[in-house]
Amino acid sequence: MQEQPYNKISITREEIVPTAKKMREDGVILAMIHGYLGEDGKPNISYEYQIGNGIESYTVEGEDVLPSIAGIYDLAAEWPERELNELIGVTFEGLDTSKRLFMPDSMLDGQGQILVTPMEELIRKTHTKKEESET
Amino acid sequence: MSYIVPIGPYHPSLEEPVHARLITDGEQITDAEVFIGYNHRGIEKLAQDMNFIQTMVLVERVCGICSHSHALCYALALESIGKVKVPKRGEYIRVIIAELERLHSHYLWLGIALHIIGHDSLFMHSWDDREAIMDILELLTGNRVNYGMVTYGGARRDITLEQAQKTLEMLDKIEESNKRLADFLLSDKTVALRTQGVGVLTTEDAIRIGAIGPHARASNVPTDVRIDAPYSSYSDFDFKMCTWESGDVFARVVVRVLENFESIKIIRQALANLPAGPINRGNKIPTIKPGEYMFRHEAPRGQLSYKVVTNGTEKNERVSIHVPTFKNAPTIPTMLRGNSVADAGLIIASIDPCFSCMDR
Repeated sequence: MQEQPYNKISITREEIVPTAKKMREDGVILAMIHGYLGEDGKPNISYEYQIGNGIESYTVEGEDVLPSIAGIYDLAAEWPERELNELIGVTFEGLDTSKRLFMPDSMLDGQGQILVTPMEELIRKTHTKKEESET
Repeated sequence: MSYIVPIGPYHPSLEEPVHARLITDGEQITDAEVFIGYNHRGIEKLAQDMNFIQTMVLVERVCGICSHSHALCYALALESIGKVKVPKRGEYIRVIIAELERLHSHYLWLGIALHIIGHDSLFMHSWDDREAIMDILELLTGNRVNYGMVTYGGARRDITLEQAQKTLEMLDKIEESNKRLADFLLSDKTVALRTQGVGVLTTEDAIRIGAIGPHARASNVPTDVRIDAPYSSYSDFDFKMCTWESGDVFARVVVRVLENFESIKIIRQALANLPAGPINRGNKIPTIKPGEYMFRHEAPRGQLSYKVVTNGTEKNERVSIHVPTFKNAPTIPTMLRGNSVADAGLIIASIDPCFSCMDR
């Protein structure tokens, strides 16, 4: 028995804005925008809408640049988009990224994308910093 | 004269680090901005390198208050991918701990809010009651925080008859003191003067920004995952959703006090009807087929969501954690506008923020 049904629906980049507009008109809540990098290193972004007691996940695969839906869903979409921009480096067209939400200001220009950097490199970087401060 | 007043990252009225920039005109706040991320520990990154049982221990450390909610929501997401049926007794035990956690979180917030408005005697009363709930949690789980009660496929510890009896006795006392607390809060002049009409969030704004949990219910938005999308046997229990119309800090106080009564009601029903049978399905490290699932759980502060992607091995491909504060924090600038600088600390605290959850 599956409680809270979850359906994955694949859409293209062009369908993101019309879907969001339709959902907004129908009064559907945008639960979250999730993202992760697939095996090929390309992002997999899913827009999770709360329909009935379940979630419909509209997923776009393999696109680095996506249109922003912050104009439609306001802050409910803006914060997740800014977070994804800072954590996995996806660009949202029309999103104001001049200020940092999550990562420090010194990590602008794609340096703080912790979820993209491989673990070994992160470990190596922290060790080098430690050694430098010790000497 | 317009000034920019910074609050935080470290400030006496904040329990955890967050940075709010207030743009003021004299004493009035005309606009505000919020900046987060001061507690980032890379937990989502760490989760990608761990197996499912290790991750369950890790996600409990996301938050010190709603630790059970994190482990529960993660386990529910995994069980949904693996299509595992949890034994009924295990589900009931999970619900009992979740509701005890809600009680102790609400009491904690009430104490902090009362401390900020300067009503320190009520603050001590509410934290005194919270101690009794912590004692129950210690009795049932062995720990005051990070209970370790959830495992893949059920609960990790059983509740004995004596423990249930003792819990019911202690709940009677807690209900009595909650009644007294409710009477004080609803009739006290100091509380009314500092909270009524302060930090108003209208129903339209709450829906537009996407507020959830008790924060949204205080703005008269009927949203509660336990009722909208029941899971883990919540549909077996009789309880109601508490909403309030005014949308100010006072409404947030009232909603939480009323929810305490509902939580006590759920725990009583669960303990009285605790089904017989196993509590879990064994403690092997599971291998789960490739898949993805997003599960939502009503944590004390609102809807907690876990999106888990598995790849057929013992490890996670991706664990994405989104907590209620992430949805409620964007409402802070809207609530601050038009209020005085003296109320800023209280308004920020009124969303029951958990920045260690949000920054994870």
